[in-house]
Amino acid sequence: MGRIEELKLELKNLGREYAKIKTLEGPERKAFGEKLNAKKSELLQKIKEAEDSAESESLESLDLTAPFSENAPKFEFKKGTKHPLSTELDLVAKIYREMGFSVIEACQLDDEFHMFDSLNFPKEHPARDGYDTFRTEEGFIPPAHTSTMQYRALTRFKSDLEKYGQIAVVVPGRVFRNEDVDATHEHTFYQCEGVFVSKTANLGQLLAVWKNFFETYYGQSLNIKTQPGFFPFTEPSLEFQIEKPSALGGKGDGWLEMGGCGMIHPNVLKTAGIDPEVYKGFAWGGGIDRLVMLKYGINDVRYFESGKLEFLKEF
Amino acid sequence: MLISLNELKSMVKIEISDNELFRLIGSRLVEIEHVEDLAPKYKKIYIVKVKSAEPIEGTHLHLCQIDAGKDLNAAIDPEHDGYIQVVCGAPNVKKGMFAVWIAPGAIVPATFGTSEEFEISARKLRGFMSFGMLAAADELALGSDHGGILSINPEHMLIDETGRARNIRPGDSFAMAFDLNDKIIEVENKSLTHRPDCFGLIGFAREVAGILDQPFSYVPTWVDINYDPRVATYRPLGDPDALKIHISDYSLCPRYEAYLFDIPGVSEHPENLLLDDIFLYKAGMRPVSPLVDLTNIIMLETGQPIHAFDYDKFVRISGGDRPEINVRLARKGEKLVLLDDKEIELVETDIVICSGDTPVALAGAFGGKSTAIDSSTRKIIVEIASFSLYNLRKTQMAHGIFSEAITRFTKGRPASDLSLAGEAVLKKFVYLGGELAGLATSTDPALIKNDRYLPNVVKITTPEINQLLGTNYPTDLIVRTLENVEFKIDELEAGVLEITVPTWRSDIHQKVDIIEEVGRLLGFDNAPLNFALRPFVCPVVEPLFDLKSKLRNLLSDRLGANELLTYSFVSKNLQEKSRENPDDSYKIINSISPELECFRQELVPSLLDKIRENEKSGFKDFALYELNQVSRKSWGLNNENVPEMKTHLGLTTFGDFYRAKGILLELEKSLHTKFTLKPLNSATFLEPLHSAGIYLGDEKIGELGEIRASVLKNFKLESTISAIELSLEPLLKIKPAKSASIKLSKFPFVSRDLTFRVPKDTAFEKIEEGIKTILSQNKALTYKLELVSIFRKANDDKKNLSFHLEVANLEKTLDSKAISDIIEAIVNHQKTLGAEVV
Repeated sequence: MGRIEELKLELKNLGREYAKIKTLEGPERKAFGEKLNAKKSELLQKIKEAEDSAESESLESLDLTAPFSENAPKFEFKKGTKHPLSTELDLVAKIYREMGFSVIEACQLDDEFHMFDSLNFPKEHPARDGYDTFRTEEGFIPPAHTSTMQYRALTRFKSDLEKYGQIAVVVPGRVFRNEDVDATHEHTFYQCEGVFVSKTANLGQLLAVWKNFFETYYGQSLNIKTQPGFFPFTEPSLEFQIEKPSALGGKGDGWLEMGGCGMIHPNVLKTAGIDPEVYKGFAWGGGIDRLVMLKYGINDVRYFESGKLEFLKEF
Repeated sequence: MLISLNELKSMVKIEISDNELFRLIGSRLVEIEHVEDLAPKYKKIYIVKVKSAEPIEGTHLHLCQIDAGKDLNAAIDPEHDGYIQVVCGAPNVKKGMFAVWIAPGAIVPATFGTSEEFEISARKLRGFMSFGMLAAADELALGSDHGGILSINPEHMLIDETGRARNIRPGDSFAMAFDLNDKIIEVENKSLTHRPDCFGLIGFAREVAGILDQPFSYVPTWVDINYDPRVATYRPLGDPDALKIHISDYSLCPRYEAYLFDIPGVSEHPENLLLDDIFLYKAGMRPVSPLVDLTNIIMLETGQPIHAFDYDKFVRISGGDRPEINVRLARKGEKLVLLDDKEIELVETDIVICSGDTPVALAGAFGGKSTAIDSSTRKIIVEIASFSLYNLRKTQMAHGIFSEAITRFTKGRPASDLSLAGEAVLKKFVYLGGELAGLATSTDPALIKNDRYLPNVVKITTPEINQLLGTNYPTDLIVRTLENVEFKIDELEAGVLEITVPTWRSDIHQKVDIIEEVGRLLGFDNAPLNFALRPFVCPVVEPLFDLKSKLRNLLSDRLGANELLTYSFVSKNLQEKSRENPDDSYKIINSISPELECFRQELVPSLLDKIRENEKSGFKDFALYELNQVSRKSWGLNNENVPEMKTHLGLTTFGDFYRAKGILLELEKSLHTKFTLKPLNSATFLEPLHSAGIYLGDEKIGELGEIRASVLKNFKLESTISAIELSLEPLLKIKPAKSASIKLSKFPFVSRDLTFRVPKDTAFEKIEEGIKTILSQNKALTYKLELVSIFRKANDDKKNLSFHLEVANLEKTLDSKAISDIIEAIVNHQKTLGAEVV
């Protein structure tokens, strides 16, 4: 009989021991029960260890220092693929860097303060109550937008205000929404947030910066238009649209919604320790997935996180 | 929300094209999702008089002669005594009635714009020619009633093409008679979240006036000339002691007004179609009964939801001689039957209206069955109130109620903006035949002073406005723009404005709110584009961002791996299959599915999960990798008190340990560093005998090796798969190794192949080090040493290590003697290490 079978037999016999418990009373019964339980978990652990080592039994140990296998030729690598979203995030960040923006990344588990308090959401704002926002048992929040990074961008680069007179940061990141998934909706997607602060920041600059980004990205001059929007962390708040670029088949008629933007709310600056009477700021944010979908004519957002090589080999 | 363009035009002078108006509304107020033009939908549909209706024997049909006016009669059906013959199946068709006739060639409105448009024709029915059809309400896309044809009041008034009012006549266009030559604008509610005032036609029209640079001067016919919207209380009319109101907490309900009307005999909707019905349909609602309809009409006009209770039922519930209205939070376990007969279990955040202590309505959301208005109603209590939007939002989600009323309440109807609706109630219920019999109000005393609400006042300067917008608007333009939408402005000195905010703008408190109004009404798109000056300093880029980019270039472009992005949240099952402990994961409490519950601790399990599917699609021998964030509860929180995150490289490849190691070696090379591999006592998804810990100095930064047989089985994988799980943050500390050891010789290299036979457990590195030790003793030498093969026969306890050596002397050409001496020294040294030379 092998070691594992022996242990299993022992466990079986232990099971029979439990029958005795009926004959005992009070503290004796309790002590007996506890003893058997302890013995049982010890046996279960031993069985698991024995099974694990049995798994390795037929194997020989390796020379960790060798660069390749015995009797095998050296392996030649082929060409692989990059995920189109990563490629695009790199490109987006590159354009902003060249415009003079620093790049920091968003974190995937955040808290109430960064997601709501620091962004001027009132204490009882409906967004906090969890219908759209995920939450962990501890109350942490997988961010629903990259704006959760505004406070960090403002505080981390505050010294730039004194040194250079401005803060200029973009934040690409993965965000999450409690949303049913279909061809145009994903619960996991990517955004890029931009933040700019100076003594003279104004709405015209905001529109100019984002317009210039898209003109560089699409390699042509573009008309833009806006719609009034509403976000607690900016005021005025706007929705930003660009003319459909010719690369995407635009003929000067259609418009593409690219995201939300606005002048940073004074309360957001104040929370980050920046005097809103002296400094003004603007912020903007939009999705990356959609840029990629438009660029390559991808018609189903679910392909991105599907892990399917059939899809990825296209890029 | 649906807005009738005709209603807007009745309140604001609009002299631009409809499309230009829609564009301006879109860019200066709210996104328009859709505009429906009703005129083509109601084309070739007429008011007619039924001249005769004779039963057709053996059927439920009637043969009717209708009058559609002389011209139509003659054009459509010249044969039937000057009238038009129509076969009609409705039970209520009768001689003398006015009805709605869909002429041949018209599309049935209910099918208009659908994929199955139904065109009416002239055809034979039971042997009789029938020209067109008499329409039921549902066919006209006015509700769902199909009980009979729609009946029209012969005295219905219309405004004809010349602008004159007159009674309808046979042959009048139905659309003209019922205001259906209209366009319905559907706006995106979400972007008006903070604008409760815009959820009424009057408020919306005020904004349109503002956008068009006109003072908003519309005054509803029912508004008293002495009306002042800022007055908080009314002179009591009727019997002021007729009602009692008690509010348990003003934060739930800052103001409650109750109007008592004697209003007998108006409980049933007349059988004729009313213009008010059309008003409701155009807003997406439907007529119910005159009393209920009136509350809805007032809501659509003013934005303030109104509720009416049956007075007698209300009083009966609490007993006593007059209504006792109590507003309070629901208690656990309380139940309420709603108007639609559904019984709901109330939750403790619901606000309820009680008669005495018994809940009779779910405040702001839905009326209760027990006080519903019905045909016996003779007295009503009309409620106008303001409720906490936060409680109502919870009520909305808890009970899934999305009524027109709660949609408005959850935008935050301010207590200070109830008086316009009060004015409407006071007048309109009287028009309907009611008599005011009592009025009571209860208001949070903190909100009022001397019977008036305290308005918000904001002081701001013209430069402050222009600075933030980047504009150069003159003061008088700013003043006019705000005055158009009824802000009151005192220019204290040149360019210094003291602005009194209208009572309905509860969203305006500070300078930036005013700046937004000016910018929006004048068009944000009119802000001249300009660029901030940029200091010539290099932007900071997080090193991790660049490192990931570099790794992608290496792994995808050179090492043949395919980058995946997979979800950050995985199932417990996936973690257990990979021998992770789910207890160490942060878990989402409201996850969409158990598949997305646990935050990832490692990336390799997610990749293992994607291998089989790709194999099935025909891919063979591939490597997958992902660069992404992971976390574990046991890592604790960082200095921001949020979970400590690490960015990992996860990689899987077909093949054994050395395939993964080959990739790691390339990584090493491109990072100009050296990792150490140490045996791993791993309990993870890796096979302990065929895996290693990856160390950078003394720090363990990852693991590498073959996937355990049992884990492979869990993922239904049959090939040998190897993996790397590596933390990227430690790699940022790497200082590239100095390259000074590279020595180039102008003298030729001599090459030699060397094979050593060693016990199979001998580490390659030991042999390699041995060779290098000898070569390094002579500082004049420079060399390249490469392992060419490792060969071992089956069951042999020794293996052969074959090296290719190229060596040169920096000072002179190596002669054969010198080479032999070097090789001999190497061989002798190897012998001391237990190697044989082959």
